[in-house]
Amino acid sequence: MSVTSELERGTGSPDVATGIVDCDVHPLLKQGFASLYPYMPLAWRERFERKRAGQAAAGLIMRFAHPNGFIVREDASPRDGEFAGSDPHFLVSDLLDANDIGICALNSLQTGAMCAVLASADESLIIASAANDYYIEEWLPIDRRLRYAIVVPSQDPNASASEIRRVGKHSQICAVAVPPIAIALGNRYWWPIYEAAQELDLPIFLHVTGAEGIYAGAPMPAGGLPDTYIERYVTLSQAAEANLTSLIMNGIFERFPRLRVLFVEYGFVWPLPAMLRMDRLWRGLRHEVPWVKKSPIEYVAEHVWFTTQPIEEPADPRDLERIVKMIGVDNLCFSTDYPHWDNDMPMQSLRMLAPADRDKIMRQNARNVLRLS
Amino acid sequence: MAIPEREEILVGDAAELVEGKFKIIKQGTLNIGVTRLRDGTIRAVRNRCPHKGAAICKGIIGGTWPPSAPGDLAYDREGEILVCPWHGFEYDLKTGDELYRKVPTRLRFYEVIERERKIYLLVARGAADTQDSDASAA
Repeated sequence: MSVTSELERGTGSPDVATGIVDCDVHPLLKQGFASLYPYMPLAWRERFERKRAGQAAAGLIMRFAHPNGFIVREDASPRDGEFAGSDPHFLVSDLLDANDIGICALNSLQTGAMCAVLASADESLIIASAANDYYIEEWLPIDRRLRYAIVVPSQDPNASASEIRRVGKHSQICAVAVPPIAIALGNRYWWPIYEAAQELDLPIFLHVTGAEGIYAGAPMPAGGLPDTYIERYVTLSQAAEANLTSLIMNGIFERFPRLRVLFVEYGFVWPLPAMLRMDRLWRGLRHEVPWVKKSPIEYVAEHVWFTTQPIEEPADPRDLERIVKMIGVDNLCFSTDYPHWDNDMPMQSLRMLAPADRDKIMRQNARNVLRLS
Repeated sequence: MAIPEREEILVGDAAELVEGKFKIIKQGTLNIGVTRLRDGTIRAVRNRCPHKGAAICKGIIGGTWPPSAPGDLAYDREGEILVCPWHGFEYDLKTGDELYRKVPTRLRFYEVIERERKIYLLVARGAADTQDSDASAA
């Protein structure tokens, strides 16, 4: 069977073993929502078709303001009229081959947003399963370097856990992408997902859905509803900070001692003030959360990773080196965010670091935390 | 006769010292709280938090909620823990260590002696005359 031979060809490739690991790559469905129809039970497919779900799926666009009109890069389009990220063969040559990337984690924001933002709870279960089957069948057999983060319907944690157990054993599944809703990650609501993720030794990806600050029930930045896209983008890390604090103070890493969490596309400067403040306040307020048995900074070191993009650009780039050391060289994983316009490409990224530190961030840490081989 | 390296400072009658409360002794630059622990030990503590310098002997002497499983709450060591009135750091009155910290800050303890039902602090001779005399020891 062609799938097997493709996989065998990929296995043992030096690129897989030694190349850069890109922890955040965004594929798109080739035909939009309609791509999922072949992977749905007939009754659900008919229901979505009747309500023109394919058109509704673009409903968030009015709230965005991208410099070139759309989130994906024009220059990464496979062919005229096709969206960047919609063709796996093109993505392999344009991103992986061209940039010495040995493994990339496909993180389907598009379908995550469909689940968390655009659908009812029942519909989100159908969408998540269809999306996972679509990528497993249409993308993963193409190249062993492609890995995939399972999309789960965060509106239903028990159904999410079932979905993790249904597809999580596939050798190219590398993580569980939990589309954030306005329930902090330390809340017991999420326990079924953590239990399943820990059982399958898969880390959790937390990544924005694009709906932050847009509707009641979406994760909300502090201070009130922002008006513009730039305000929302700047304040995205507030939700990450709130979720990191929530995970630690609710003892999630004591309750699920093998759980690993990656904050994806929040950058890596924001954790620093949160870590320092958590550590300081824990010394005086730990009696409120005695299940936090050690400094919050130690939980971060053992259980939490941050992907690097978007890398901030201080006037003196060496300032970043100090921040990298304070966050922890072992806790950062490189990511491009391809094919989005606000990407970081490997050649230009983190060049101020010592080669050994850069190598950990570009290649080694992600192999460890995502258990890549 | 050898000159003693330390001098005694009278704290007061042993019966004055009760659990859960410090008697503050100020002499020269010395500022020391003396209390009785549950097991009868007399404890003398420099009245200055190693964190940010608060008069820590005005803090609560009580117990602690030790590390426990998520969702469980335990309570332990009543009368042995001093909580700073400023930032709430917890100190072990048995050892002087800040609790639950890998590299703990420490309270400065002083030796005491009891003689004829009176309690005396033992301090380095001249300590009360020296600005910040025990900073290096703390």
